[in-house]
Amino acid sequence: MFKYDVKLAFKSMRRNPIMTALMVAAIAVGIGVSMTTLTVYYMMSSNPIPEKSDELFAVTLDSWSPLRPFDDDNPERAPHQLTYHDAERLLSFAEAKRQVAMFESSLIIEPVKAEDLPFEAFARVTSTDFFAMFDVPFIHGSGWDKTTDAAAEPVVVLGKQLNEKLFGGENSVGNWLTMEGTRFRVAGVIDSWEPTPRFYDPINGAFQEINEMFIPLSLTRVLELSSVGSDWGWKSEEITSFEQWLNSEAVWIQYFIELETAGGRGEYVAHLNAYVNEQKKLGRFERPLNNNIYNVEEWMDYHEVVANDAKVLVGLSFLFLVVCLLSTIALTLTKFIGKKAETSLRRALGASRQTIFKQQIVEVAVIGFSGGLIGLALVTLGLQGIEYLYDSPEGMVRFDWVMVLTALGIAIVSSMIAGLYPAWRVCNIPPATQLKTQ
Amino acid sequence: MNPGPMVSALLRNKTGAILVALQVAVTLAIVINSLYIIVLRVEKMNRETGIDVANVIITYVRGFGDDFDVVDSITNDINLIKSIPGVVAATVSNHVPLSGSGSGTGLRTVADLSIDSISTARYRWSEEGLDSLGVKLSRGRNFLPEEVNFIRPEDDPPAPASILITQDLADALFGEEDALGKTVYWGSLEPSTIVGIIGRMHGSWVNWDKLGNVVIQPGKPAYTTNKLIIRVEPGMRDELIPVIEETLGESNRARVVKSVRPLEELAARSYRRDRGMAIILSIVISLLIGLTALVIVGLTAFHVTQRTKQIGTRRALGARRIDIIRQFMLENWLITTMGAFIGVVLTVAVAYWLETSFELERLDWSYLPIGIVVLWVLSSVAVFAPARRAAAVSPAVATRSV
Repeated sequence: MFKYDVKLAFKSMRRNPIMTALMVAAIAVGIGVSMTTLTVYYMMSSNPIPEKSDELFAVTLDSWSPLRPFDDDNPERAPHQLTYHDAERLLSFAEAKRQVAMFESSLIIEPVKAEDLPFEAFARVTSTDFFAMFDVPFIHGSGWDKTTDAAAEPVVVLGKQLNEKLFGGENSVGNWLTMEGTRFRVAGVIDSWEPTPRFYDPINGAFQEINEMFIPLSLTRVLELSSVGSDWGWKSEEITSFEQWLNSEAVWIQYFIELETAGGRGEYVAHLNAYVNEQKKLGRFERPLNNNIYNVEEWMDYHEVVANDAKVLVGLSFLFLVVCLLSTIALTLTKFIGKKAETSLRRALGASRQTIFKQQIVEVAVIGFSGGLIGLALVTLGLQGIEYLYDSPEGMVRFDWVMVLTALGIAIVSSMIAGLYPAWRVCNIPPATQLKTQ
Repeated sequence: MNPGPMVSALLRNKTGAILVALQVAVTLAIVINSLYIIVLRVEKMNRETGIDVANVIITYVRGFGDDFDVVDSITNDINLIKSIPGVVAATVSNHVPLSGSGSGTGLRTVADLSIDSISTARYRWSEEGLDSLGVKLSRGRNFLPEEVNFIRPEDDPPAPASILITQDLADALFGEEDALGKTVYWGSLEPSTIVGIIGRMHGSWVNWDKLGNVVIQPGKPAYTTNKLIIRVEPGMRDELIPVIEETLGESNRARVVKSVRPLEELAARSYRRDRGMAIILSIVISLLIGLTALVIVGLTAFHVTQRTKQIGTRRALGARRIDIIRQFMLENWLITTMGAFIGVVLTVAVAYWLETSFELERLDWSYLPIGIVVLWVLSSVAVFAPARRAAAVSPAVATRSV
């Protein structure tokens, strides 16, 4: 019976090719536009580290000016980064299960072979726990241990791409690399690791790939590494040496902790407050106590990682989908009413209301499915266009199975809803009246 | 004319008419709001920057190794670049305007930290800085060569005696008063005198509402990465980029010439979200208008076929072709107008949502009548072809049975 319904559906679709094409096009374009924007939104708002997002926290301390808040628009907020010396101090207390202090720098890599050219590469300068805390996958070797970090040994963990560029993708652990005149030993090579959004550094961009390698935080002092990320200051201080810079009130270090359970939160904040109260005795931290930790989701909200434009586009494109559905309903209704005579005949020959109703629904479902398929092709095109327009790394906006099924689901369900009223109208056509006028 | 046939035709397919009207309404709401966002973004991208963006090249150079002398390197680079025919001026700068990367500070007109400061972007460059960007001084004077010294990261120089500021910053600091010759105070409460005023110049962050606030200090920043700003003769830019890259690359192997790029490219990158939004919305409204127009054509064409007999009868009873066309056009006009009325309400609702949830600017209401007129024209064009076909129905049809 279902096969017969489908056959009738195709027959009816062929009879009015223009109407059918319009209906399919309406659904295809509606799905194409709305699913493209929804996919971008879904990517931007996705949880980058679902297994740990409740146990990882960004730490903020209010070390800002006594005269005014860090952010005039959000006066309740403490600065989103720490001073170098506060970060160093917190690391040494090691009150959390794991803790990491970090910033983004860049180094010149000197040629391994004489014929190569030197080039600049980005490095995340970070403390030991980084790899374990963020579940970074290694291909070769590992990170460095606390002794290495404490001794400020020049070791480096390479990103997959940089390892390919420098060592042709081989196991380079134990090899040496000269950067800024210092010889670094390769300790490990990580697999591609691109949590999206880049939750651990939304301050310098939540949607880009910039970590080419990782080196120990303790090298900051030794190599006088400067940050390529943003730094903020409020105090006019004399800075004529790197040491003075490290001891200044400028905030530029990002600090994350991992707690055993999300419940340890209050305890950790109490620890922060105790630290700050002690600093207050030294004349620092002149603002009222305002130290907070934010879990991953809260940290993403804090930095408004999902761009307003993306939300506006989702809203407008779903209104667009509404237009497409209204078109589909109008077209279906018109078409079904045009089939009055045929329906009357079928009813007179014994087809029940249910049969007619079912057949109409099958017809719109077939149209919805075709529209959905073409719509998916449009989404692929749309996502490529968006990657190009926004200059985002290739493959960042992916279309996964969840989205494919959502798209087809929306297409079929909405076209069936669009078909309900017309189908109901049609199956109420009495058997005889239409025949009479013939 | 007799509205009878038209109204009775509409009443016969009430639901159909309502559906089309609703479609028109939602279309209006999307088109007007999107168009308004597009216009705002395009206006933002086309703002006058005060900079000769088309003829400026930006180069980033970074030295390495123990023997590297940054002051020598900058001096040689600037001399080499200026010896290339076609180069107008060149300077080293702490930051590049429009690039997204910059430095900010706060200035006060009185030496009192408890008073809020005026935020501004801050640059530091040589006496050739203005010429290197094609920025025009409206009043006062440029830096003198003796005011310009190399500044290393560890130098922590005192506040300069002379500074330049933009008119926007002057207005923010002094209001109606003339800022030229006045003193301003930095965060350290050190004073500087305003010796020149720039009519207009954009800073680094294109999304900042104080983009026009710029203060310039004299000096040649000798940092790890040297940012060189080079202006060339009109039309020479693309041909000089490889020349500059090669000249700098060969002169000193102890450094990396990171990139030599047109300022236009850096600026376009800063505006890519706005451009992206404008392009996406343009595509969306084109698709939407196309779809709505096609649906109107399709539906009218279908009705014409369905009503062939009725049309024939009217023609047989004396209706002229023009009467038939008028009937379809008016029928459509009535539906579109009904849709436009609902559409106005919807447009305002969507505009309210955008304004309150996303801090978008309030919709300029003059877009509403324009949108309605566009819809009228569009739907009339869409309905005209099928209506003409309807008018071509022969009166003889009435005598035949279908």
